[in-house]
Amino acid sequence: MNATPETTSAAQGDVTRSDHDVARRDLENVERALIDQSARGPVLTFFTTAIFWLLVSVVLGYIASKSLHAPGSVMGPEWLYRLLHLERASHYIFDHLTYGRVWPAYTTALVYGWCSLAGMGVATWLIGRLTRVSIKAPAVLQFGAWFWNAGVAVAVITILCGYNSGLEFFEMHRVARACLFIGYLFIGIWGLILFRYRRQSTPYISVWYLSAAFFLFPWFFGTTEVLTSMPVAGVMKNIVNAWYQNGLFNLWLGCIGIASAYYFIPKVINRPIYSYNLASIGFWSWIFLGGLTAMTRLSGGPVPAYLVTISIAASILMIIPISTLTLNFVRTMKGHTGLMASSTTLRFTFVGTIFFSLAAVLGVVSALRSVDSYTHFTAWTHGQMHMFTLGFFSMVMFGAIYYITPRLVGCEWLSRTFMKLHFFGTAYGAGTIIALFLFGGLATGFALNEPTADKMGFYNVSGIANAYMPVKTYIGYVLFGVAQIIFAFHFLLMRLRIGQPAGEPTLLATPGEGH
Amino acid sequence: MQKPSILFTGIFGAFAISVGAMVLIPHTQLASLQPQVTWDEGANSPSDIYPHERSATGREVYVAEGCFYCHSQQVRDPQYGPDTERGWGSRRTVARDYIYEDVPLLGSQRLGPDFANFGWTAKVAQKDGSEKTVSMWRNEHEDDSKKPAARNERWIYQHLYNPRTLFSDSKCPSYRYLFETKEIGEKPSPNAVAHNAKFQIVPTHEAERLAQYLLSLDRSHELKEAPTAIKPKEAKK
Ligand code: HEC
Repeated sequence: MNATPETTSAAQGDVTRSDHDVARRDLENVERALIDQSARGPVLTFFTTAIFWLLVSVVLGYIASKSLHAPGSVMGPEWLYRLLHLERASHYIFDHLTYGRVWPAYTTALVYGWCSLAGMGVATWLIGRLTRVSIKAPAVLQFGAWFWNAGVAVAVITILCGYNSGLEFFEMHRVARACLFIGYLFIGIWGLILFRYRRQSTPYISVWYLSAAFFLFPWFFGTTEVLTSMPVAGVMKNIVNAWYQNGLFNLWLGCIGIASAYYFIPKVINRPIYSYNLASIGFWSWIFLGGLTAMTRLSGGPVPAYLVTISIAASILMIIPISTLTLNFVRTMKGHTGLMASSTTLRFTFVGTIFFSLAAVLGVVSALRSVDSYTHFTAWTHGQMHMFTLGFFSMVMFGAIYYITPRLVGCEWLSRTFMKLHFFGTAYGAGTIIALFLFGGLATGFALNEPTADKMGFYNVSGIANAYMPVKTYIGYVLFGVAQIIFAFHFLLMRLRIGQPAGEPTLLATPGEGH
Repeated sequence: MQKPSILFTGIFGAFAISVGAMVLIPHTQLASLQPQVTWDEGANSPSDIYPHERSATGREVYVAEGCFYCHSQQVRDPQYGPDTERGWGSRRTVARDYIYEDVPLLGSQRLGPDFANFGWTAKVAQKDGSEKTVSMWRNEHEDDSKKPAARNERWIYQHLYNPRTLFSDSKCPSYRYLFETKEIGEKPSPNAVAHNAKFQIVPTHEAERLAQYLLSLDRSHELKEAPTAIKPKEAKK
């Protein structure tokens, strides 16, 4: 069956290598290089701006995290501000950067800035490769990318200045939403047009997921925009909001991340995916159930009870896509895990899929009413969100960026040390952030739910996670942030074409070294 | 294998089911929700309507400052958690409580206490005037030394200006920028959070509206679908 993602011809199965085959392979390589070149402009724009927003979101995340254990403190060296006579300005700015403003700015920069832009960049490149068409009029995509970026910038700045729509993950000002949507239309419609010109008749698994992501996003975004601007009042807006958030994570980011993993894992180890049938079951159950798990976010809330019940049931059934996806990835990797020691792409992508499975299982467990009554309203849910965005999605995107960029700029990554540091910082930094959100959430959850007499006064509850919070800020966000600074620098070098000569990819370890 | 036609039909189907079950069906159900009216036969007029249409107060300040990222506004049924036991409300809140709110600020986190009934729990202490009276509902422990005497407007200003002066390890941000320094006229304003001989720090218009908003939060009205679940502590004695 399908050997590597790009070829569907049955001939891949037999290993006879006639001259004809060799010639065809050469031709394919040339074709591939041409397609890569056509995608160069927009994909690099997506990556560069995404990495910019990644850095912005790490800084905002650090401030948000810090303001929970040291509210109102000024970030950075105060003596420096004093030296520069910026004391008053710095106090003015940091006074205003309260948690209620920084947190939404952080999630917006993270989800719409980093995650979505990186995802669209990877998706653009994947579509070119998988449909075997070169990207025509890439300027349209560039245009879309800049619109999207303008949207994120307006959103983050207005939120920090004190604008908020009251809807989580949809806080942006109307202007920002319009920019995002217009930008998306350029990108998404262009993607669909390219898809029509595909020269690969049977779409590969990644294409299923990308189609779902790109088809569904505007529907979720548009429906939410329309319903929340309508004069209908009341909890309906919270319901739409929960539904939107769920779609944003499961069907937009989730599908792009899975698509990327389905491409790069078999690609790097050069082996077909373990089972197409499993992939098929996984795909359909993921997109059907993934749209129904929304209302666990409102369990216990003032909404019709059956909604929550449906979502709990759907969450439990999510076991099906999770187990099929996990099984498929793990079985494909079987016997090839050694390659993780040398291939950066594989290491990031596979660790990302592990985070995916963990996050998804956590989603199932947290949907159970007995667990939810402890974890609802606590940082546990932030832990889940970070597991999905930092653990799974970012990891998979890093893996993809490490693979794609050399093919666009014409040189290989400069330094294996940088890559190692980036992996180390990302994995342990994100791991620390996630673990502390989860533990902190559990600790407060117990105090919230089983209050002893002294915990009846809420002012006695809020100190409970105190021990966890500084660790999250000073170890979690700092580690993660430093790793991203290294990565951004490394990427900048690539854009300046400072790197190893093209040809052999820069590996984390020379194969044969170690094991 | 997935044919593109099947693929797109399937994806659209997934969206249709999702939007149908999660959005359209509840919408048809919730759109018709009306306030609860008790009819007074004698006077032939409504004797009681709930909820009332709220006049806009400092809600925009509350939203803009993102208070709802830490403070929820929903009381859950006792089977979900001790919300009523804490005294955050006398009953669970239901959809009808929110019909006049543009975007109900239900909140998803409880870093701070729930505010569904903030005004109502603070009321008793307010009317009474005596600073010793504590709010009737809050179930804070008798010996709790931090227990505030009253949660009235002045207390809210203190809390807004710097929560750490009231609770040393509070995580609530200080909203100093919602206050301004003014010269003292004849004597310091009762709402001043600090003053010296010449100057005083008083709440801005925004802070005043925010405090009014908090004190207006009251979802204690008896509803058919949500009977009172818990009686006030004082009443139990
Ligand atoms: C970082 C999360 C956070 C944000 C944002 C936040 N608070 Fe708080 N708030 C808390 C915590 C934690 C407490 C409990 C400790 C205390 O009472 O100081 C609290 C307590 C309070 C109290 C005292 C409640 C009581 O009855 O004891 C008031 C009033 C309050 N907050 C108002 C606000 C307002 C108004 C805003 C928005 C302008 C806001 N808070 C934003 C975390 C937050």
